[in-house]
Amino acid sequence: MTTAVLLTHVGLAVAAAALVAATGPVSYVLGGLPAAVGIGLLLDRVSALFVVLVAVAGAGFYLAVREGRTGPGDALWLLLVAGLTGVVVTADVFNLYVFLEISGLAAYALVAGRAGVDRAIAALRYLLVGTVGATLYLLGVAYAYVATGTLTMANLGPALAAAGHSSTLVVAAYVLIALGLGVKLALFPLHGWKPPAYATAPRDVAALLATLGSTVAGYALVRLTFDVFGVEFLQAVPGVRLGLIAAGAAGVLAGGYLTLRQDGLRRLLSYSSILQFGLVMLALGVATPAAVTGAILLLLANAVAKGGLFVAAGHAERAVGRSLDDLAGVGREAPLFAASVAVTFASLVGLPPTVGFAGKWYVAVGAVAAGSWGAATVVLVSTLVSLTYAGRVVERLYLAAPAPEPGGAGDVATDGGKPPDGPSRRRVTAVVGVVAVALVVLGLGSTAVGEWVAPVVEGWA
Amino acid sequence: MSSLLPLLAVAVPALAAPLIYLARSRPTIREGLTLAAAVATLAVVWLGVRAPDPLVTPLGSVAGVTFALRADAAGLLFALLAATLWVVTSVYSIGYLRTVGEMNQSRYFAAFAASIAATMGVAFASNLFTLFVFYELLTLATYPLVVHAGTPEAYRAGRTYVAYTLGGGVAVLAGIVLVAVLAGGTAFAPGGMAALATADPTLARVAFALLVVGFGVKTALVPLHGWLPAAMVAPTPVSGLLHAVAVVKSGVFALARTVLYTFGPETTWALDLGVPLAVAAAATMLGAGLVGLRQDNLKRGLAYSTIGQLSYIALGLAVATPLAVFGAFLHVVAHAFMKITLFFVVGVIYAETGEKYVSDVAGIGRRLPATMVAFAVAAAGLVGFPLVAGFISKFHLVLGAAERPVLLFVAVYLVAGLLKLLYFWPIVYVAFFGERDDDSAASRHAFASPRATDGGYPGATSWECPALGREASPFLLVPVLVTAGGAVLLGVVPTALPFWALAEAAVAEVFG
Repeated sequence: MTTAVLLTHVGLAVAAAALVAATGPVSYVLGGLPAAVGIGLLLDRVSALFVVLVAVAGAGFYLAVREGRTGPGDALWLLLVAGLTGVVVTADVFNLYVFLEISGLAAYALVAGRAGVDRAIAALRYLLVGTVGATLYLLGVAYAYVATGTLTMANLGPALAAAGHSSTLVVAAYVLIALGLGVKLALFPLHGWKPPAYATAPRDVAALLATLGSTVAGYALVRLTFDVFGVEFLQAVPGVRLGLIAAGAAGVLAGGYLTLRQDGLRRLLSYSSILQFGLVMLALGVATPAAVTGAILLLLANAVAKGGLFVAAGHAERAVGRSLDDLAGVGREAPLFAASVAVTFASLVGLPPTVGFAGKWYVAVGAVAAGSWGAATVVLVSTLVSLTYAGRVVERLYLAAPAPEPGGAGDVATDGGKPPDGPSRRRVTAVVGVVAVALVVLGLGSTAVGEWVAPVVEGWA
Repeated sequence: MSSLLPLLAVAVPALAAPLIYLARSRPTIREGLTLAAAVATLAVVWLGVRAPDPLVTPLGSVAGVTFALRADAAGLLFALLAATLWVVTSVYSIGYLRTVGEMNQSRYFAAFAASIAATMGVAFASNLFTLFVFYELLTLATYPLVVHAGTPEAYRAGRTYVAYTLGGGVAVLAGIVLVAVLAGGTAFAPGGMAALATADPTLARVAFALLVVGFGVKTALVPLHGWLPAAMVAPTPVSGLLHAVAVVKSGVFALARTVLYTFGPETTWALDLGVPLAVAAAATMLGAGLVGLRQDNLKRGLAYSTIGQLSYIALGLAVATPLAVFGAFLHVVAHAFMKITLFFVVGVIYAETGEKYVSDVAGIGRRLPATMVAFAVAAAGLVGFPLVAGFISKFHLVLGAAERPVLLFVAVYLVAGLLKLLYFWPIVYVAFFGERDDDSAASRHAFASPRATDGGYPGATSWECPALGREASPFLLVPVLVTAGGAVLLGVVPTALPFWALAEAAVAEVFG
């Protein structure tokens, strides 16, 4: 049943994207109410990408790695996918809040999972911080409403301009919205909830959330910054632009430093996301069409890579152990798995021809063309930091000799005990392999992706 | 002309790598695959050399930047060199790994093939962006070879290697982004991109500096050279082909692409960038020459010699007159043949006797007569004796340097040659006139204090004189004689191999 719903969702998402390709942006107002009070939905070339991402990830992870399928669990899974899709397609800033909360509540419950004190505490923390973030966002929406009297994205843009871009109300609205979404994005220093939540959540949930959770919030920030507030707002208030770049730089540097200090695989991946979203913020601050294209590609690249890597990490935890050192010798025992993990890390680092490189390239070119030398430098430094942490993982996969097993437990090969449950090694290898191929294909097709979003992005900037 | 040939030159070794790894339980198949791939790569490159027009393989675009391979004269020169020496090195590797009994031979051969694939990509890259991709892949592919021994020392050297080269890679990337913004593209143009000549001079200088620093790492320009002596922990064939030819030459080749095909000789000098680069190269030549004198470890000494020789080429590029550039291209080839011979000999010494230090190989000329004669010939070539390849290339380099008003660079070439003589003479002298377990001056390195000897293989207190041709496994001996013979051939009949014509074509293309 769940499978059928999710697959239908994928079909609808692809069909909607095809419709956008054929006829341009598609909008719909639920119940035919006037847009000012109704629930408006809008799909354009940018949101189509994310709708397809949400649908494919929701269905793909469910089919490939979902464990312990139960009615309530699956209902939450569907609710999460529905909420995230809503965030992407909504054309109304208040409804965006509603969808954000729907997906958030489903996520808190899924992280708490089936059992375990650690999970419960991590989920509680996630819930508290997530609610604060959503509330900040709502507060920002309220300010914008006070300033303009409308909540529809299409009307907000001109109304905000009429209210005066540098008016305190408008600036406060943007800052609160950015802060609220920043919590969801786990931007430094609002990132505390993420590593424990992602490191303790059930394996399948961690993979889904790592793919979509912050990515969709990042999409929302891109949409609100450029479609609602607009580049003129950023130009009128240089402080905001500077703040975005500073937040991005801090995220990259702090995220990079913290990533290097991690020994647990899942925590390392969570901190690496902080670095990646720092890059996205940097691109928003640069605010040229090239940089925005780069931000979109970076969001997609991080989403796909993190999904694959969390599946891989979940499998590695079951098969060999939680820490990086346990990965020693995996390259020899599971060459395809290890190669896919290595390619995926290459995309996170931004090595060509992966999509991670394409994103960084667009951002760097945009930053240099705009004369943001600081931002350009940070992008390049991030490559160096990412190389170091990715190098640690890949070196262990391929070159380190396995440590002698204490008591012979925890080997990949059957050790005679009860085989651990969960998706089979073959299935996990397939997922990670598909992810690695997707990253390279997206990289080789990044010019096409750039051209696909160009009509929308160039309309913004 | 559009053709798949350039791609094939990359694809053949690239596909061989996983196959070699898969054949890991069958040494014979694995070695056969390596040899077959090496010969096939050489054949593909040869077809490229015979083609009338440069062949181009477009490979699509990433992030709006095109990705393409193009086999022009300069690229073919480098690719032909690497492919030729790969065949020889494969034979040598088989003999070396068998004699020494190295572990993880499949990983070794697979990584070796991958490194060659990346080198082919560097050679045939048609723009800075494609060059950068393969340049970085080369670093990644050679890393397993550097840490091959698996000892803490090897891992330390591997970290140093990666830190230097990838750090340089980031500088390169920054430079490429700047060039892309300034010139609106990154495609190589013989004689330089027109748009860069008119771009903002400050930014153009910054871009040049970033590219030179980045590529200078693999070129081992002082002070970016530290990784090269450290990387000598790798097995000797790796040091011979990769760290004397493929890796360092990709650095200097990329430098050539920067000076000749991105900025162009005229713009480089118009922006006052020729002199700083030349000074850096000259300082490296002299510095490495002096430090090299004091190395008792054979491979480390050769590493410093490589650092110095690469700066001969870098100085030729910096001088950027037609003769100097012609000499630089010739020296890429000449140095490769001579230096690989020297490394092969050092590998034979280690494989046959277990010795690594000059002071431990006194009198080795009796035990390995043919091998040490090859060493002496190659050393003479590097010093610049006529009838060996090095003379021809240095002759052109010196003549080219004399075309610039400053004669300082001519003097530097001559002094560096003298330092080379002082470096090689003690080794050759000790090898032929010294005695093992003798403490007299004839059996010690003239300038370096002896390192603690590691004893070598037990039992040899004096060198036996073997029958003719039986001094080492033929897998080891034949490659040594072939590369030494190649160095002599290039010295006696420099036009015999296609390298001369390719270098001429490249110079004609750049200087119009």
